[in-house]
Amino acid sequence: MKTLFHILPFEWKSLWRSNLLKVLLIVVLGAGIYGIYIGKFEIDKQERRIAEVQQYERQQFDSLLIWSQLDTTIAENKSKYALAMSPVGVGWTKHFTYYVTNETPALAGLCLGQRDLYPVYYGFNVTDLARQVNTGELANPMKLLTGNFDLSYVIVFLFPLLIVALFYNLYASEKEGGTLSLLQSQPVGLGMILVSKGLLRVLIVLFLATALLLLGFLLQGISLAQNVGLFVEWLTLIYAYCLLWMGLMAAIIWMRRSAALSAMLGLGVWLIFTLITPAMINLVVQSKKPLPNKANVIHTVRALNDQNWESPKSFVLDQFYEQYPEYNDGDTVDFNKWYYASVTLLDKKANALKSSMEEQISERNALLSQWEWLAPAAMVHERLSRMSGTDRQSHLRFVEQVHLYHRDIKNLYYDRIFAGQQFTMADLQKLESGL
Amino acid sequence: MLKLVIKKEFKTALRDVRLQISGSILMVLMLTAVLVGRQGQQQIAHQRAAAQEAMYDKWVNQGNKHPHSAAHYGQFAFKPKPVLSFLDVGLDNYTGISVFLEAHKQNEVLFSAAQDSNGMSRFGELTAALILQVLLPLLIIFLTFNIFSKEREEGTLKLLHAQGLSMRQLFMGKVWGTYIMVLLFFLPVIMLAYFLLDDQSAALDAAVTTKFIGLATGYAVYFLVFVLLCTLISAFAKNSGFSLLSLLGLWTLSCIILPKATANLADKVYPTPSEFEFRKTIQALVKNGIDGHNPSDVRLASLKQEVLEEYNVEKIEELPVNWGGIAMQAGEEYTDQVYDQEFSRVESIFKDQNRLSEWVGFINPYLAVRHLSMALAGTDFHHHIAFARAAEDYRRSFVKRMNKDMETNHKPGVAYADYKVGEEMWSSIEPFSYELPSFTTILSTQWRSVGALAFWLIGLLGISMIYAPKISRL
Repeated sequence: MKTLFHILPFEWKSLWRSNLLKVLLIVVLGAGIYGIYIGKFEIDKQERRIAEVQQYERQQFDSLLIWSQLDTTIAENKSKYALAMSPVGVGWTKHFTYYVTNETPALAGLCLGQRDLYPVYYGFNVTDLARQVNTGELANPMKLLTGNFDLSYVIVFLFPLLIVALFYNLYASEKEGGTLSLLQSQPVGLGMILVSKGLLRVLIVLFLATALLLLGFLLQGISLAQNVGLFVEWLTLIYAYCLLWMGLMAAIIWMRRSAALSAMLGLGVWLIFTLITPAMINLVVQSKKPLPNKANVIHTVRALNDQNWESPKSFVLDQFYEQYPEYNDGDTVDFNKWYYASVTLLDKKANALKSSMEEQISERNALLSQWEWLAPAAMVHERLSRMSGTDRQSHLRFVEQVHLYHRDIKNLYYDRIFAGQQFTMADLQKLESGL
Repeated sequence: MLKLVIKKEFKTALRDVRLQISGSILMVLMLTAVLVGRQGQQQIAHQRAAAQEAMYDKWVNQGNKHPHSAAHYGQFAFKPKPVLSFLDVGLDNYTGISVFLEAHKQNEVLFSAAQDSNGMSRFGELTAALILQVLLPLLIIFLTFNIFSKEREEGTLKLLHAQGLSMRQLFMGKVWGTYIMVLLFFLPVIMLAYFLLDDQSAALDAAVTTKFIGLATGYAVYFLVFVLLCTLISAFAKNSGFSLLSLLGLWTLSCIILPKATANLADKVYPTPSEFEFRKTIQALVKNGIDGHNPSDVRLASLKQEVLEEYNVEKIEELPVNWGGIAMQAGEEYTDQVYDQEFSRVESIFKDQNRLSEWVGFINPYLAVRHLSMALAGTDFHHHIAFARAAEDYRRSFVKRMNKDMETNHKPGVAYADYKVGEEMWSSIEPFSYELPSFTTILSTQWRSVGALAFWLIGLLGISMIYAPKISRL
């Protein structure tokens, strides 16, 4: 132990004097801070979009509330009052467009994950969701392809390179510098010296990782106190990932090859684990498990819609009353009842089709996960985005929320529509409280 | 003398065990990428063509109905998978695949593959492009990092110089020797890829051979640029170790770090508007008029006046044609203008963003070849827009046919439900077809990337000629 503490300061001095360490530190710190900044920039953009939508929804509902108070003895107020109080809307204008936003999780800015692929909000009225959630978010596909330069990228891609650069000549530099025989003539064993040299590098890497993560919290204004658990989870995973790479480098050093060959081997392993294996897995899964054709959902909706319009009203209402007996009052001619029954039926069918497609998709993704261990970089990145709430599953949970919200407001609307009633002020207040 | 140097370099490289191993791994990867990639591409191409056909079938067999109902029933356009996308998948997993075409509105091209995949997909697909753009340069680095320092360390550089070999000759000899070695990897695989193309490929894209040759040439130039760059750096590096380190550093910077940093910067320089803002703008423009002073009800009233005057009647009911059809078509044409204006505004922002990284090609040849390769493979942003435009033009034309039929044949006084047309009408609309942009169109969008590659090639050749004589002095 004593010798260890004896060697460490010397090794640090000689490392510090080499320009390589300084260059590496500047590059990794620079990239890390740039990544933190880019992550913040992206998250701010998403937050602005969310705020914009929420503000708009609030504004619209406020005008609805004002309209609900209008004096209907004045002719020009009538249509506005009707828009506020009629659950079926007026003409083709539906009652109200609700927005559900996907709030930004605390650590999203450190690992943007898959969040940039999906819209951060959905807007919908009480009719079918199927036709209303087919929206995207404007994004340059070139940027989506290139990916985000966030902190998780720096950790997953660049840290292994840092480790390779720090470790590759741990042994070879002594040999090629002619100091090896000198070391071997010391009373301390060569193994001990190499271990302490390695330990110093381990400390540098882990310190850098911790510092960057702390900087990430600090610069992005993430509260450490509220997210201690996540901080520890992140740190543990990053440490484990770095240790894995240092283990791989230890194996390469153990072979005692020349510096050039060790560097190449290290880089080769990096290429295999971060570039080649994930790309290979994607290629194979892509050609083995094709994705379902989602246009079929739209087709199902339009075909059913078409059929409903071309058939007598009882065709829809009979089916609807059978499935929802609570609304059955025997009326098979009313247009509004027919219309809202029709959209319910087609939404149900579209959702069933969507779920079956989702099953197919998750099977495909399960296959990707099954081979994940071959691509530790992808695995760690996926874990980080899962922890940060930015993976695909998080988006699916958001979609689930949208469905639940839609179902909730629908109940209130349908109670009124099928009773042939207008909204009451209490109804509007209830809807408002859900915004 | 030059030939001798080339031969020597080529032979030493060939005998190097490390190279034999890394070269064979590269070869296996390339073969897998090309063969599996082609299979996957054919499968997707087939799937989309089948979906397109099935949806057209649904359109033709939708039964008798009013033409406007048919326009609402709508059609679909599926993006054909470009033939050469198996060499460079480009943006294909990040752009939508199909678009629903219906009356009144221009929908987005939806359902990108990336949205349906977990995070693994963000690590890219193994394609020839990935290997040629990223991995082959590494091979070049391994071939060249000690190409001069070894001679220097072994003292043979002075010997060669003493024998009357000019440093220019030596330099170019080493460059060509390495380059031939690189071509030995590149040519067989690229030729195999060419043989995988069949008659069907030519039917899908008439210019496929020209594009293929363009693609191969682009890569060949890129490799030469890399060989020149690496040989130059290694000629002036103090020793092998320093040369390797700086080359690897350069590679990491240009192939791994810079492309990402550039794309992220571009988004900051040219901010992307939000979908919400985009949709609200369109709605407002349709409602209030493009100039803000021409609201929809005023537009409708003035159209009504015009039509009444044209037919010299007093009331809508007296018109010999269907007013609804006329109004609807006029509405379409107005919203088309709005859509054109707003969609091209967003597209031009994205083009500005991409242009930034095309210009960076002059600093980083990797970006130049990347853009060129995607464009020629038919998987860049310009191709995506070309498809979206073609689909939109198709939508406009068939919706117009429906409106025109309503205008002339749906006689006034006949109820909506009583006027119906059928299969004859539906099948008179040709199925959607989309032709990939031609080779010259692609080059016209990619002149920056071509220019950047030429700039690098000529610049490096010039620098080599000027500085090569100084190699012996080090």
